[in-house]
Amino acid sequence: MRPSIAARVAQTIWTVLAYAFLLAPILVLILASFNDAKFFRFPPQSFSLHWYEAAAASGEYRSALASSSIIALIAGTLSILVGSLAAFALVRFDMPGKRWIEAILLAPLVLPLIVWAIALLQIYAWLGMSGTLVGLVLAHAVITVPYTVRIMVSTFERIDPVLESAAASLGATPFAVARRVIIPLAMPGLVTSAAFSLLISFNDVIVSSLIAGARWITFPVRLYAQLRSEGVDPITLAIGATIIAVILIAAIVGEYALKWSRHL
Amino acid sequence: MNSSNPSSKAALFLLPAVLLSAVVFLLPFVWLVYTSFKTQGSGSLLLADGLTLKNYGRLLDDLYFVQAFGRTVWMSALATLLCLVIGLPVARLIATWSGRAKGLLLALMLVPLVSGALLPSLGMIHFLGPLGVVNGTLKMFGLIDTSIKFLGTTTGVILGMVQAFLPLMVLPLVNTLSRMPRDVEAAANSLGAAPVRVWLRVILPLAMPGIIAGSVLVFCAAFTSFVTPQVLGQGKIATFGTVAYQQAALVLDWPFASTLAVVVLVAIGLLLILTAQFNRLIARKRRIAS
Repeated sequence: MRPSIAARVAQTIWTVLAYAFLLAPILVLILASFNDAKFFRFPPQSFSLHWYEAAAASGEYRSALASSSIIALIAGTLSILVGSLAAFALVRFDMPGKRWIEAILLAPLVLPLIVWAIALLQIYAWLGMSGTLVGLVLAHAVITVPYTVRIMVSTFERIDPVLESAAASLGATPFAVARRVIIPLAMPGLVTSAAFSLLISFNDVIVSSLIAGARWITFPVRLYAQLRSEGVDPITLAIGATIIAVILIAAIVGEYALKWSRHL
Repeated sequence: MNSSNPSSKAALFLLPAVLLSAVVFLLPFVWLVYTSFKTQGSGSLLLADGLTLKNYGRLLDDLYFVQAFGRTVWMSALATLLCLVIGLPVARLIATWSGRAKGLLLALMLVPLVSGALLPSLGMIHFLGPLGVVNGTLKMFGLIDTSIKFLGTTTGVILGMVQAFLPLMVLPLVNTLSRMPRDVEAAANSLGAAPVRVWLRVILPLAMPGIIAGSVLVFCAAFTSFVTPQVLGQGKIATFGTVAYQQAALVLDWPFASTLAVVVLVAIGLLLILTAQFNRLIARKRRIAS
């Protein structure tokens, strides 16, 4: 006997409404960015690409976006290098205290980041690292490493270790095994880790807004300071909508090409 | 040392990540506890000599902070409850969906998680604002004459929290419900149980580990968020997050900011211990029942 059709329909309508609410701010952001007037009101009177043109012409936001990109690229690279090595060791080797090592590596997912950032702010000031690129990159690497570790652990668990020992027994050096066997097989996981690390670093505001100095101001930090003091600048809607659109496309492509949801 | 020795190789692979996490992430928490017992001279960031309980006393004395904590507790609890009510049917649908859309539904759940706290809040301003989508639509249909005030109210902040943290509830629920045997519901149905009874007696008890995990995640995220309350509360709703940010980044009273952080850390620690105990209790009950 099947559960009643009515219950199934109700559940589907509920889910559609929940997704509408979940995605509402994202879709509204995109809608508002095409609004012609300086202040958005619904329903919009006329649409234009005005704010996108203004965004492209504005040097003001370009430097913030450049800071975000540089930090995300370096921190993301660090996260993938360090996180994949650790994940490989966790999957392939037995060791004492494995649970503790895992707990240390995944701690930034569990403990509140604002609490940590309050401490980091003080330590960076004490070490004279306030507002430096190194300080920001280290902080961003720390918050992205747990994502890489989780994604790469589930990736390496799916790769048969026999392939590695077979290549080794045929005379491949450990370096050749890594380059010719492990890395190609782990590529979907590596790409997924890279996407997560880049996006999380690029969009972080919680940690960055506390430790950013005057020199390295990322786009979210700038936007947050602006929202606190002056209110919404429509140019930021155009930039924000572009970032959100990239995330939406990445999520859909990532799901269909790389099965992102399997890594959760 | 021989580099082909597996344990030294493992240590070598693990070292960079563990070092990064331990030194840059965990060590600062020690500093936090230490500075929470310090004070700094007025107009200077230098720590004064000696340890003191002054910051903790100030926290208890000042009604503003006590109220902010209380407000954050009930707002986060309400946001958690709303996420649970909204998320359970959604998670159930995703978990039992067999078509291609399942992956897409999960991928869309990831979008708010990787968007950071700010961009969704920026959209929320235009969704809930006085001239925003919700008020505009209600006016278009003649349901209201004057805009409903969401921004700058606790309602707006709670709605923002639910939107931002719903995935943290849904993803663990999907995980638990996917592992639930498919035929239990059909069995309960075929024995004549009403749908409400099936939910209460079969689905909810089996989903309990996911419900607990999701609730803890949402509550902790809501409790420690500061961007959503600041932007959607327009500076009028003081929560733990906004107060802590103020003290750390604007007032620059770092020892006091440390104290706020330590109190929240202890509270979250207690919550996690309680949850672990509760989980153990449920597991024992289930063992006895089977």
